[in-house]
Amino acid sequence: MTLQRSAPGDETVAIRTDLHAGRRFDWGQPFVHFLVLLLCAVAIGPVLYVVIGGFRTTADINAAPGGWPDPWVLDNWIAVLSAPRFWGSLLGSVILAVATTAGVVILGIMAAYPLARYTFRGRHGLYTVFAAGLMFPLTVAALPLTLLLRTLGLHGSYLGVIIPSIAFALPTTIIILVPFLRAIPAELEEAASLDGASRIGFFWRILLPLSRPGLVTVGVLAFIGSWNGYLLPLLVISTGTLPQELWPLPLGLTQFSTQYSQNTGAVLAYTSLAMIPALAFFLIAEKRIVGGLTGAVKG
Amino acid sequence: MHSSRMNRRRTTSGLAAGAAIAAGALVLAGCAGSGGGGGETDAPAGEQVTITWWHNATSGPLPAVWQEIADAFEAAHPGVTVEQTGYQNEDLQRTLIPNALAAGDPPDLFQVWPGGEIRDQVANGYLMQLDDLIPDTIASVGGSIAPWQVGGKTYGVPFTFGIEGFWYNTELFDQAGIAGTPTTLDELNDAVAKLRAAGVTPIAVGAGDKWPAAHWWYQFALHNCSIEALQEGAADFVFDDPCWVQAGVDLQEFIATNPFQDGFLGTPAQQGAGSSAGLVANGQAAMELMGHWNAGVMGGLTPDETVPAFLGWFPFPAIPGSAGDPTATLGGGDGFGCSATAPPECAELLAFIMSPDNQKKFAASGSGIPTVAAAVGSLEDPNLKLVAEGLANSSYVQLWLDTEFGTTVGNAMNEGIVNLIAGAGTPEDIVKRMQDAAATL
Amino acid sequence: MSSSEAVGPAVSAGPTPARRRSRPGARKRVEIAIFTGPALIVFIGFVILPVAFAVVYSFFSLPAGFRWEHLADPDRFIGIDNYVRALTTPEFLRAIGNNFIIVGLSLVIQGPLAIVIALLLNRRLRGRSVYRLLIFVPYVLAEVVAGLAWKLLLPPNGGVNALLESVGLGAFTANWLADPSIALWTLFAILTWKYIGFAILLMLAGLQGVPEELSEAAAIDGASWWRIQWHITLPLLGPTIRIWAFLSMIGALQLFDMVWVTVSPSVRGIATETMATYMIQQGQFAGQPGYGSAIAVILFVISLTVALLYQRFALRRDLRGAITDRGN
Repeated sequence: MTLQRSAPGDETVAIRTDLHAGRRFDWGQPFVHFLVLLLCAVAIGPVLYVVIGGFRTTADINAAPGGWPDPWVLDNWIAVLSAPRFWGSLLGSVILAVATTAGVVILGIMAAYPLARYTFRGRHGLYTVFAAGLMFPLTVAALPLTLLLRTLGLHGSYLGVIIPSIAFALPTTIIILVPFLRAIPAELEEAASLDGASRIGFFWRILLPLSRPGLVTVGVLAFIGSWNGYLLPLLVISTGTLPQELWPLPLGLTQFSTQYSQNTGAVLAYTSLAMIPALAFFLIAEKRIVGGLTGAVKG
Repeated sequence: MHSSRMNRRRTTSGLAAGAAIAAGALVLAGCAGSGGGGGETDAPAGEQVTITWWHNATSGPLPAVWQEIADAFEAAHPGVTVEQTGYQNEDLQRTLIPNALAAGDPPDLFQVWPGGEIRDQVANGYLMQLDDLIPDTIASVGGSIAPWQVGGKTYGVPFTFGIEGFWYNTELFDQAGIAGTPTTLDELNDAVAKLRAAGVTPIAVGAGDKWPAAHWWYQFALHNCSIEALQEGAADFVFDDPCWVQAGVDLQEFIATNPFQDGFLGTPAQQGAGSSAGLVANGQAAMELMGHWNAGVMGGLTPDETVPAFLGWFPFPAIPGSAGDPTATLGGGDGFGCSATAPPECAELLAFIMSPDNQKKFAASGSGIPTVAAAVGSLEDPNLKLVAEGLANSSYVQLWLDTEFGTTVGNAMNEGIVNLIAGAGTPEDIVKRMQDAAATL
Repeated sequence: MSSSEAVGPAVSAGPTPARRRSRPGARKRVEIAIFTGPALIVFIGFVILPVAFAVVYSFFSLPAGFRWEHLADPDRFIGIDNYVRALTTPEFLRAIGNNFIIVGLSLVIQGPLAIVIALLLNRRLRGRSVYRLLIFVPYVLAEVVAGLAWKLLLPPNGGVNALLESVGLGAFTANWLADPSIALWTLFAILTWKYIGFAILLMLAGLQGVPEELSEAAAIDGASWWRIQWHITLPLLGPTIRIWAFLSMIGALQLFDMVWVTVSPSVRGIATETMATYMIQQGQFAGQPGYGSAIAVILFVISLTVALLYQRFALRRDLRGAITDRGN
């Protein structure tokens, strides 16, 4: 969408997305570009270091930690990509993350709907129960949790990681979703009921599509949280009978890095590859946040 | 409303897809790991038996040695499967094993640390008593079995045991004009000064991990305390003897000579070339005080992954005029034990691991000094031979103090020592912390 | 939807309940039960229950490998001794202080920074979506990964110091992670790097709810970009900012992963201990699960107090008529 506005005088606001650069010179624009580029450099600098480090031999890294690859080698990447433990860990992480995200989103939106749009006694109490869960990080409940999982026979299995992950992600999810749902105007609901839809129908046909930006947000957070989770897999999976090839990536990475601690180059390569899927997921999801929100506002 | 209807359909199909993936994932998840916890043996003896084996070998030649032994045992015992896994040491000792024991579902064969930990584990009934099951194995390791015995009964068998000493760079010593190796503390201070003058970092210490720094204090305590004081501390957590405070005073004096590398509080002990072991291995520091495993560790940190040729070893120097027994040394080892709920095949596996042939493989790999006397001859590394000699000449081997005193007092003690060397604590603080920690037990 | 309705997260006061009376209450209760049921069961079973157990453990003196039987041993029941010990131990009090320092720094530094960046990214820039992606990358990384990367960059001979020297700022090189006097600041810088993407994401989502018509109208009237942001956008962003501040505070109080992974144990014990790292160190690594559980409960109480106070005083406006009013 192209929109041009300009005002007489020295306060010029150029709002454009088309590419005729230079037609109006706004001092603000290059400055903003510069600032944002600087920020991006800081943000991805360490990441680039890790990725470029994957192209170096360990001796090279030890000799000059801050230097460029000399020579550029592919050995580390080949070693990691040809290791079955890498692909197995990748699969494990995917399964855990997808299942956790689905669970968080489904359970979260279901619970957030009555909390946001119904009125009933105990609503405040129920919301507080979920919000109170924010006060306890996973680290705190770790030991009692593992005992509980063993009692339920879930220890050593993916489910033993998925279900607690969902549980611990619910407070943030509900806290983010409730305001989103509340913001949908009452008039929509009234219109829907005049058209004969039940509350469930309203939920399914109108509320869900409108809350997509919120759902995508909590989905992204849940996915990333699960993908990067370390403590829970450490306590549940690494102590079970699942072979190391199927351990999720953060666990696999630490195993790899202690086993090859002297091979910094390989560790950096493994690390870089472990980052890619989460980044890809975010890239896909990020577009939908923008698209969904624009759609919601414009109708 | 065309666009919103499309949105609806996409959302609905999106949700449906999500639900389908989730359902599929849950099914997979249930199948993938439904084997339950470790250590379960479903079949009666004579049928399929699985033995889970946890150890701390994750790098160097040792994991392959264990794998070979596991495979050989499986071949010799049809129907028995051995699943061995190596874990990072701290994770294994502080998190995985205690949690597994607490939850009542431990592995069958696992690494057992002597001193306070094994005493706790025996008190809780977690370990299988081995005297009647593998008496020959126990006899084969001689005196080193003692730390793995509680109340006269054996609950674990050590496969490696050695004493601590200085791993040093002979070439850098030559460069700095140091003749021979220090035999007294004064000579050590002298050597430190010469190395500084030559522009070399004298001593590397992995103080980031706490325990490497603590070992310096342990050595000073060993040299100041009589054997009785040491045993009193270990048995009853009584630290009234002034030798314990003197240890801190000595350490402070030593640190005042500026022996360590810059930023030693952040240096790890063994991970990567920037660790204290890596610094020595790559010629960036002249010495490190460390246990007998250090040769193997250093070998992994050099560019060509071999033990440096310039590496030498000498024991901790004597402190003339000190109250401790000059022939006593500080040392420790690693051993395995079976859980109380393990199948009898576990003891057989342990005996197999400790058999002279397998222990010769262990010795030849350069991973440490074997406890089985018959295997000591297979040691190839000259430095390890020196360590073995030092061990043989010791009249008394004191276990690493944090191992001896157990996790609670040990952790408090290490923290106090780190505070001291960071300039944030006093020698008396260390003793007070140990006493306070002991009071909570 | 007509453009005259204000749409945005947490801006409206909420739907009026007038229609509800015509529906049977039983059906509504069933719907509520079905909708909240699954989440509630999972949550209570896997969060509340373990937490309750942790509270019980806190009143006991327990060994490293403890079992249920230890809880039945009367000698092990020590009442509030663990709590007294915690609140009189300088290390733990220092840890609490560190947490609050990080809370303060996050609110004062990360918040405004995130808002400014989000406002910049909300403009129609070329390559805007690429910028957004790049800035969010650190948040996407696993803590283990980020910790590893920074550990390699921050030693005295590492990448950061090399960079400083190459641009002539050699005087500013330091031993970032090993010097206890600056370790906490280094840590905060790393935390900002890691988590500001999350803040920016939230702000951007909130900004999407600010109607463009308002900004356009103001621009037609001749307002500069900054004035539009200050007078129109920011106030409408208020609820989002307050939610972010809430999550940020709670996150800062519970900080564990990055501290544990990045800073060496010794430096951490001296300079950058947090309540959570102290808890794991004492409860797990020093073999004192009872004491560790007491620390956990104290952590919970502090977080809860902060959360309740904040909800009462800051979030009240946003959730008016919905959550904080009782008996509605």
